[in-house]
Amino acid sequence: MFDHYLNAFATVLLPQNILAMGLGGLWGLLAGALPGISTSMGIVLLLSFTYTLSPITAFCMLVAAYCGGITGGSITSILFGIPGEPSSVPTVIEGHALAKQGHAAYALWTFLLCSIFGGIFSVLVMMAATPLIANFALRFGPPEFFALTILGLSVVSGLSGGSLLKGFLSCFFGLFLATIGTDGITGGERFTFDTMVLLGGINFVTAMVGLLAVSEILIEAEEPFKEYKGHVGYRGMKAEMPKFSLFKKNWFNLIRSPIIGTVVGALPGAGATIASFLAYGEAARTSKEPEKFGHGAVDGLMAAECANNASTGGSMTILLSLGLPGSNTTAMMIAAFMIHGMQPGPLLLSTRPEIVYGIFVAMLLSNLFLLVLTIVGIRLFLELNRLPYSVFSAAIIILCVIGAFGLQNSMDDLFIMFAFGIIGYVMRKFGIPVAPAILALVLGDMAELALRRSLLLSLGDPMILISRPISVVLLAGAVFSIVYPLFKKPKMLQEL
Amino acid sequence: MKKGEIVLGAFCVAFFSFMFYEAFKLHGVGRFGEVGSGFWPMLSLVVSVILSLSWLVSTFVALAKEKGKAAEKPTPETIAAAGSRRKKVALSVVCILVYIIVMPWIGFILSTFLFVPAFAIALGERRRLVLIISPFLITAITILVFAKFITIPFPKGAGIFVEFSRLFY
Repeated sequence: MFDHYLNAFATVLLPQNILAMGLGGLWGLLAGALPGISTSMGIVLLLSFTYTLSPITAFCMLVAAYCGGITGGSITSILFGIPGEPSSVPTVIEGHALAKQGHAAYALWTFLLCSIFGGIFSVLVMMAATPLIANFALRFGPPEFFALTILGLSVVSGLSGGSLLKGFLSCFFGLFLATIGTDGITGGERFTFDTMVLLGGINFVTAMVGLLAVSEILIEAEEPFKEYKGHVGYRGMKAEMPKFSLFKKNWFNLIRSPIIGTVVGALPGAGATIASFLAYGEAARTSKEPEKFGHGAVDGLMAAECANNASTGGSMTILLSLGLPGSNTTAMMIAAFMIHGMQPGPLLLSTRPEIVYGIFVAMLLSNLFLLVLTIVGIRLFLELNRLPYSVFSAAIIILCVIGAFGLQNSMDDLFIMFAFGIIGYVMRKFGIPVAPAILALVLGDMAELALRRSLLLSLGDPMILISRPISVVLLAGAVFSIVYPLFKKPKMLQEL
Repeated sequence: MKKGEIVLGAFCVAFFSFMFYEAFKLHGVGRFGEVGSGFWPMLSLVVSVILSLSWLVSTFVALAKEKGKAAEKPTPETIAAAGSRRKKVALSVVCILVYIIVMPWIGFILSTFLFVPAFAIALGERRRLVLIISPFLITAITILVFAKFITIPFPKGAGIFVEFSRLFY
């Protein structure tokens, strides 16, 4: 294992990979800091840049963008009070309150240091846990894989927003979309209506670009015309750097919050949002000054940011070891693996160890890069909010077109992207979340193949699915994952 | 919006039912003893039909409850604002569609150059400087990064447009 790490460090520290991490981190920070672009959308738009890169360079860029997106989202949360993602809501509550009191730079420093600390903590956990989980998962057969994909699909309850009914409708729509094309077992055509375009199935990168990015631009087009993306209101950071005593005073909070973030991030259906709320809630419960919460409590900000960024390592652990996307953004990562001819999961560690260990090292270094990038470039990121809004939107559409076209150099993909853009727009207009459809499109094919292989093994007896202990535990986990958020979702989150 | 939800709900029921009918034709496709091609699609589609019906029914119930309450009449301003929003979205959709359709004919470079100002105008942009500079800037960056550096083989167009595209990539 030590050799793998040495090789990974040697590879990741090559100039092209350092450059990729720098650019990816910068793009992630921009995507997070600019209103209207989420981390997952940032990853989708970045995919087109990685087509011709070597897999390790591509993943250096993507993991840096992932970590950067989570970090960058908090910049707008603190300065403008706009949560880029639901997970940033506690940051808005406490960080923006501090900014309004004239301590924006103090809040930014605290968020940045805690965010990086949480990120590095979770990467270290990921390095230790991934090989163990992956080795265990090597014992999995088709019934266990089927149970695993169902566990992955159970994320839907966490991604559904307000209505679980609409979330599941979106999920089953995605499962149907995944069946279009050539059947993986019989080789027969399904729902192609004798067209060549649909013979290979619906490419989920193309669908994702349409559902997420194009629909977002159309939704934004409805808003009244604005000259610029946002407004800048920021002064220097040097004067308000927090003292070491602040972190010493909150040492228990700094240990507890990343643990909550990493564990919750690894649970399908939970992710960064539940993690940051749980850590924030715990900080409020144990705080010596609970009356400050909601009015700029720095311990609340620290807890939320540590947990928020720590969830990335938890999600990536499950993605790399089991091949399950714990969140919308890690579902995009699956697409990246597939573009580069890999399938994340237990076998990846034995077949492509250089990629897995490279990702570990890249995530670790990305967090350090982000510290420097944010401090140096914060003013630049905020100035970008002064880009003309209309031109910015046009540039996003062009990136979408390039992302969809560049995948197979096919014009058909552009029409599919356009169609999914319209579908995504209609879904969003009627409050149907698009994330479950994307998740189901990614996992649907795997779930179907695992189920049919299981039934082939048992000569059609469905009891095989619940006769093995691992699959029973995983299916029970899926049921728990669907039911738990319904009862335990923090009140503030339900009101979003 | 409730009426829109009813229309969309009804469309979902019809769409998923039709696809279920199509999936039913696949039932039994495959070797003897195997689970056929139609099993998984039928499973997902039957649940989709049930969920769409549930949504439709719950929307009807919500609409019936709302009927008892006095609904606010939209003012001329809100009607005009809604019309303007729809117009902007429709124009944006048309711009994207035309961009994709004409790309194989006039090439990526020219279509992108024309798309940028057209889309900006559709969104309400009227600043001349922005409309003049942005197409040059965005097209140049796009070609430099994606056509030259990443070497994506963008469509070059047909006839005279091929010669024009070859000047750049």
